[in-house]
Amino acid sequence: MAIATRGTSSNYLQRAPSPSGLAEVIDVILDKGLVVDAYVRVSVIGIEVLTIDARIVIASVDTYLRFAEAVNRLDLAQTETAGIEELRGGGGSKKGEGVVEGAKQKLGERDSEKERSR
Amino acid sequence: MSAATSRIDESSAAYVYGVVRGGDMPSIEAEGVGGSVVRQVERDGLAALVSSVPKQGLRVKRRDLHRHLRVIEEAFAATTILPCPFGTVVASTESVEHDLLLSRRDELLSAVERLEGKVQMNVKATYAEPELLRQVVEGNPEIAHLRERTKQLGDAGYYDRLRLGELVAAALAGRRRQDAERLLPELAQSAAEVVADDEEAAVVKGSFLVSLRELGRFDATLEAVARREQPLIRFEVIGPLPPTAFASAYDEG
Repeated sequence: MAIATRGTSSNYLQRAPSPSGLAEVIDVILDKGLVVDAYVRVSVIGIEVLTIDARIVIASVDTYLRFAEAVNRLDLAQTETAGIEELRGGGGSKKGEGVVEGAKQKLGERDSEKERSR
Repeated sequence: MSAATSRIDESSAAYVYGVVRGGDMPSIEAEGVGGSVVRQVERDGLAALVSSVPKQGLRVKRRDLHRHLRVIEEAFAATTILPCPFGTVVASTESVEHDLLLSRRDELLSAVERLEGKVQMNVKATYAEPELLRQVVEGNPEIAHLRERTKQLGDAGYYDRLRLGELVAAALAGRRRQDAERLLPELAQSAAEVVADDEEAAVVKGSFLVSLRELGRFDATLEAVARREQPLIRFEVIGPLPPTAFASAYDEG
């Protein structure tokens, strides 16, 4: 399939031909695709427990307080300032890493479950 | 191991990457999951890309997720593929032939037809958050007032801070909903199908199925929208990808 070269990335639009980070790869192939009815997932694969939860839970007291803190620290006169990125436990660039760590952890747990079940 | 899985002889199990039309693919060069060789099981005009499952069983490694995707991408570069989700294992190659290629032949062929000449573009739009918060404060007098008040009160203003945070959270959620409702249809203009993912951290996150003919138009729209929405919203696009989000035959036609 011949596919035309895409435009270049800019600060408002990042382009990538293919997913690179683990979180992006997982997003493309984990729960998506042709589901085979008669399939079996060999138990050691352990995909079922590989769940990614990178979402912000908004409705909690703790989060409200952190939102309040984020707007309080906001310097309305300046551009660079603390934002709700911090609510995710790090800057935006670190979010993917967190997901990767989470996934690795789950996989690790699954591996040890497997060892025990043998 | 459960009784259900222990009945499977792992040495004859087949890991399935996806389905293509028979004769479309010469061979797959990319290494399969677990370092295996990828081969084709053909039956009546359809072929499944499969590899064997290692005797000691499969252990998921990060590398295997990439291998799964590489195999699908290699096939996608040559032909139309219906990709399977990562981790799809069928009891035997006979089962691949009978339960998949033969029993679901019509459905698979029509899915291949539906996806032919189309690619998947994954778009994610996120807020530049300091900018978003600034707009929320400036556009909402009650938030602006509470912000000043809590700044003065410090730790003493616990309930005011709670109220402030609640208002900010509600304003963000409302803003996100509005922006998503506005942007999604605009981006979908030149797409054949759309699957929107619900991700709270994103304004819009979705997979767009775009025919190669429309790809230039899709990209131009995306470029124009992204330029217009800066600096509040940043866009990321990954693709052209194999149509992983559209391969299920759940909605034919």
